[in-house]
Amino acid sequence: MNPKRAKFFSRLEISALSLVAAAPLLAQIGNVTLSGTITGPSGTPVPNAEISVRRVATGESGKVKGDPAGSYQIPNLSPGDYEISVTAEGFGTKVEKLSLTSQTSQTFNISLAAPAGPGAPSLADLGISPSQATGNSQYQAMLDRRSHMLQIHQRLGLITTAPLLASIFTGPGAKGHHGLPGSPSGRDLHAAFGASTAALYLATAYFAIRAPKIPDTSTRGPIRVHKALAWIHGPGMILTPILGSIAFSQLSNGQRIHGIAKYHSDAAFVTAAAYGAAIISVSVKF
Amino acid sequence: MNRNRWPAFLRLALPLLALAQLARADSQWVLLQSTLTYHVSHPLHEVNGVSHAAKGKGSCHAGECDFLIAVPVKTFDSGDSNRDLHMLQVTRGGEFPMVIVRTRLPEQAAAAAAIKADLEIQFAGQTAHYSQVPFQTTTQGKTIRITGTVPSTVADFKIDPPKLLAMPIKNEIPVKVDMTWQSQ
Repeated sequence: MNPKRAKFFSRLEISALSLVAAAPLLAQIGNVTLSGTITGPSGTPVPNAEISVRRVATGESGKVKGDPAGSYQIPNLSPGDYEISVTAEGFGTKVEKLSLTSQTSQTFNISLAAPAGPGAPSLADLGISPSQATGNSQYQAMLDRRSHMLQIHQRLGLITTAPLLASIFTGPGAKGHHGLPGSPSGRDLHAAFGASTAALYLATAYFAIRAPKIPDTSTRGPIRVHKALAWIHGPGMILTPILGSIAFSQLSNGQRIHGIAKYHSDAAFVTAAAYGAAIISVSVKF
Repeated sequence: MNRNRWPAFLRLALPLLALAQLARADSQWVLLQSTLTYHVSHPLHEVNGVSHAAKGKGSCHAGECDFLIAVPVKTFDSGDSNRDLHMLQVTRGGEFPMVIVRTRLPEQAAAAAAIKADLEIQFAGQTAHYSQVPFQTTTQGKTIRITGTVPSTVADFKIDPPKLLAMPIKNEIPVKVDMTWQSQ
């Protein structure tokens, strides 16, 4: 056959193949045609490459084949973000991202990297053993569980601040002002918020204490302050309700608050301050 | 008769010499020291995580050098162990403990002041390709210092972006590279 005619028929065949292979993309009813050239590392065209495109938004994909001169054409695309993947014999696979505009004809050239040569270094050459390079699903599960429990800890901790603040604001109503005793309903309300705070705090602490400890990791950064403050607000969250219940019974019996119960509000104040500082110490992280 | 032996000897010796020259042309590169720094941006916070634990080797043959660099994910230190463990978890560092980078460069790239490399990066169970990433080089004797930034994103590796106060981090997590290689 005449070489010119052979080349023409070859191109015609490839174009037809391209249109058939790209059929799933026709469903998008787009009018953008993407074309370009596939080249190797030295800039020479790579013949007969396989080009796949995937629309990021919808996941729709299609495949075309490049021609012997390294050119390709993908018709009927819609504007949007795409992932284009190119493979060719003797070369590695290359994945690129591109955004198509509403312009009807757009060009995207791709340069393929040559695959690694026969003497390419391996992980073993770097002194990395297969066990070091291979993951451990149990370890990942431990990390997942830890993150999950600490996220619950974080949320419960923030929720706990609501009854904690309410306890602080209802405190004066329970204790009374200027030598006058507080009302029984004020005491009940304060006690209810105090009990809610203690219960939520215990749940919060549970998720932090029970979160898996990751071996071979040292504690660094703001989390050290967060943990240190727990030694103040932890005992405080136990002591404060005990002192509060003593104060509650003293006031209910018509007595003035006396003895160690006098320190209920001081203990509550220190505990709340340490708790707030603990939240702030880790609030600048994700 | 004797006069004909010389050309025969040369016919044998020249290819051998050429082969020996080719074998001598093979060279190796070893990563002496490295600093890899990822940068995470959040509307409320900026974070850098640094690792000096990368291992690397380059092997040159027939004018092309294949490089392999590997760094354990858990060696990145952002100054907060809690955040580092969280990063290890979201990047699935338990299942995929290494970041592995492969690239191929022409041997003469070592002599250039700037290079552009096609990188293949395996991380978090995904493989991403970066084309023509620019790096600056400084050669001193048998060592070469390479600096640059890999324009990586969390989407490249299908990582669910971590959030703080319901706001996710930015998609871009550029990794600054500062490596010193030695030719052997």
